[in-house]
Amino acid sequence: MVSAPVLVGMAEIHVLRDSGLLSCLGLGSCIGIVMLDPETGIAGMAHLMLPESFSKKPTDKPGKFVNTGIQELIGQLERAGADRHRLRVAYSGGAQVFKFGSEAGLKLDLGARNASAVKSLLDELGLDTVAIDVGGHTGRTMTFTVETGIVTVRTVTQGESVLCQLR
Amino acid sequence: MSTLTLEDILSKTSDLPTMPAATVQVLRELDREESSAQSVATYMQQDPALSARVLRLANSAFYGTPTPIMRVGDAIMLLGNINVRNLCLVASTYAWMTKPLPGYDLGPGKLWEHSFAVAVGAELIANETRSAEKGHAFTAGLLHNLGKLAMSVWLENKLQAIQLLAERDDLSFDETERRVFGFDHAQVGAHLGEKWNLPKPLVDAMRFHHNPDACDPTSSIVDCVHVADYLASSLGYGLGGDGLRYYLAEGSLTRLKLNADILEGLCEPFTEEYDRFMKLFHEKDAA
Repeated sequence: MVSAPVLVGMAEIHVLRDSGLLSCLGLGSCIGIVMLDPETGIAGMAHLMLPESFSKKPTDKPGKFVNTGIQELIGQLERAGADRHRLRVAYSGGAQVFKFGSEAGLKLDLGARNASAVKSLLDELGLDTVAIDVGGHTGRTMTFTVETGIVTVRTVTQGESVLCQLR
Repeated sequence: MSTLTLEDILSKTSDLPTMPAATVQVLRELDREESSAQSVATYMQQDPALSARVLRLANSAFYGTPTPIMRVGDAIMLLGNINVRNLCLVASTYAWMTKPLPGYDLGPGKLWEHSFAVAVGAELIANETRSAEKGHAFTAGLLHNLGKLAMSVWLENKLQAIQLLAERDDLSFDETERRVFGFDHAQVGAHLGEKWNLPKPLVDAMRFHHNPDACDPTSSIVDCVHVADYLASSLGYGLGGDGLRYYLAEGSLTRLKLNADILEGLCEPFTEEYDRFMKLFHEKDAA
């Protein structure tokens, strides 16, 4: 029997061990990011909304921002027994509205800025990024099967396709 | 080019939403300068379910009143006109806005999620820019995508082909709808709004929410809804198969005196306001 996926809503982070499905529905400019420690079978997914927090106040939803969300996801994985040096990563999303009229648009392009912020932080942390699927104008649904390590992405135009296998 | 007309779409689409008469009367009374909590209550009491919801919200922990509120008029006075208006709209639209719309690849509750987010965002932008009355911006945001309810059935099994056409010819989604059907969901919504006798600013927000520069004269409410739609879609609130394939009109940003920095700064309070409003108004929480 195929189990129902754990839906990772906006700003949420979920961690599973060995089996189960994790899914981010309707990613627009947001980023769905998945990490797996293949040795322990501990995996997690976060649904990140914005590049970084602008207010100085602490947030009760670290998954809302790229900078706090990735650190929180790694933290939860480590507390569950994963080793950050073994983590394999894939992410998807970062779409943008159809067209901008000027240079101001570059700053308004949340999707590209989210994707860029994720890449910078992952590079800085030295994590192994296996696959990236970002950009465009369509919404995405990203699903991760913990047992097999397969990451799929579904769009209206392309249907569902395998992005990568993290195991 | 399709030979369908707007009338065809509406007359051939079964199960179109209707706005309860009591809600329309309450909204009109709230807009009347001489209205009072008691005069609004007179209309509201025609709808016992609506009255019950207003009383429930007034007696919720959020307001923390020391003694129970028993009369609808007292509840209206406590909540204030803006909250009463928003609650009426939410209560009246929730049932039909939570239905799935397969034509737009929107699952159950997704049109609602998007519309509610645009309502909250439009109110926030109206307040920040002091450009429009907050309650009207909320209402316009909540109703802006009404046309999708009528159009969805016509897009079923065609969405992928429409998106592929949009990609091939580098068109926005509303441009593609116009090419395929002769009109888009914004025009259908405005037509429905006119049939409901909604005020012109609300009908304008439905008609021009993807093309605010075409509204003549330009309208702050339309601009607030347009920018809120951009924020809500970008952040993924109720995103459907049309995705982000829409223009962001810089004219709206200019008229509202918003630049990229201010707009980005609004993203965080927008998500906080959405969470706060959801707790306040959402059907499950209020039930």
